[in-house]
Amino acid sequence: MDASLFTIQPAAPEPIYRQLVEQLRRLIAGGQIAPGELLPSVREMAGFHAVNPMTVSRAYGIAEGEGLLERLRGKGMAVAATQKASHTQHQRLALLEPQLLELARHVRELELPAEPVLRRLTKLLGD
Amino acid sequence: MNAVLKDTVHTTAPLAVRGLAHCYEGSSVLAGVDLVLEPGSVLGLIGRNGAGKSTLIRAMLGLLEPLAGEAFVFGEPALKLSDDSKARLAYVPQQPEALAWLTAQQMLDYVGRFYPRWDATFARKTLERWKIAPNKLLAKLSPGERQRVDLIRALASQPELLVLDEPAAALDPVARRELLREVALRAGESGTTVLFSTHIVSDLERVASEIAFLHEGRLLLRCGVDETKERYARLWLPAKMSAAAPDNSLSRRRHEDGSLSLVVERDAYGQWPEAAKLPGARIDALGLEDLFVEIAE
Repeated sequence: MDASLFTIQPAAPEPIYRQLVEQLRRLIAGGQIAPGELLPSVREMAGFHAVNPMTVSRAYGIAEGEGLLERLRGKGMAVAATQKASHTQHQRLALLEPQLLELARHVRELELPAEPVLRRLTKLLGD
Repeated sequence: MNAVLKDTVHTTAPLAVRGLAHCYEGSSVLAGVDLVLEPGSVLGLIGRNGAGKSTLIRAMLGLLEPLAGEAFVFGEPALKLSDDSKARLAYVPQQPEALAWLTAQQMLDYVGRFYPRWDATFARKTLERWKIAPNKLLAKLSPGERQRVDLIRALASQPELLVLDEPAAALDPVARRELLREVALRAGESGTTVLFSTHIVSDLERVASEIAFLHEGRLLLRCGVDETKERYARLWLPAKMSAAAPDNSLSRRRHEDGSLSLVVERDAYGQWPEAAKLPGARIDALGLEDLFVEIAE
């Protein structure tokens, strides 16, 4: 994809970095840019739109923090292959299954009843 | 403690001024300006015509002796700048420089010898792109063309500090965009520190990291561009609520129907003043241009 896919309105009350993050969110949600697709480098983006490179870095950084983008070593920023937001609770719980099986095994080995273990776990999870 | 702090600021900052005051024929132009530019920052200086922008720039660079105050460039007193420091900075004034008896190409070849990092290829290519006849005498060029040649000179010297006084005036929209791109990329990649004055606010919104608003000889506002947009807004209060207006606003305007417009600021917790929650009150986000118009009126 190239930098011309984005539009910037410098005079808008919304700061340019926010405009960029917002457009990234929409482009990704709408499927215009696919997971794994590389984004224009900070230099290309800043050069094309004649904006400060720090503004572009800031936008990319925020999008990375939100899990929209991921940094590929030596290649730059790409649309994240797996996005947290697209995962259901069920899918996320499934990711924990190995640790839960392991825990259940230890509990049985120690011959502990379930109740105090669950109470302790609830406490650890901060209620 | 304070003295130590000031000294470190002056030795590291490309530009620093303290308490600058100046007047022309008895009327005050600068009334105590303090300003420090951090390395790699792009500061957009904005203000109405006659606000003192050019005077401030000239005093910052030591081209004018102010009535009061001090100016430092790379930590040296601006009025006694060494040749070494002069080679690290480039300044493009609104009025074309001397050397009018040379052609554009001759002038660039000549001044290029004084700069250790002169980029002759850039100078040649940009002359071509900005449609300036290299063999025409500078005196025969239009004021706009003269300023373009000066911009090329400034950029080709690859300065650490670039100071541009109303650079947009001489450029058509395409060349202006090109200049902004150069400024933005050099600041971002080579760490060039840039100070430019302009009355075209959208130029500043693109490339500036910070803005300073000069009004009646004083700096009214000095902050990051993004931060400014997020921090200030216009609060409109209907006439019957106008008694509840907060005291500390940057500007206050009463309309004919008794309603009130104020420029307000978020507090330390990101909240607008209490009055914004009153029934009928409205908060409008402001672009920089609107903000300046509100404040300067």
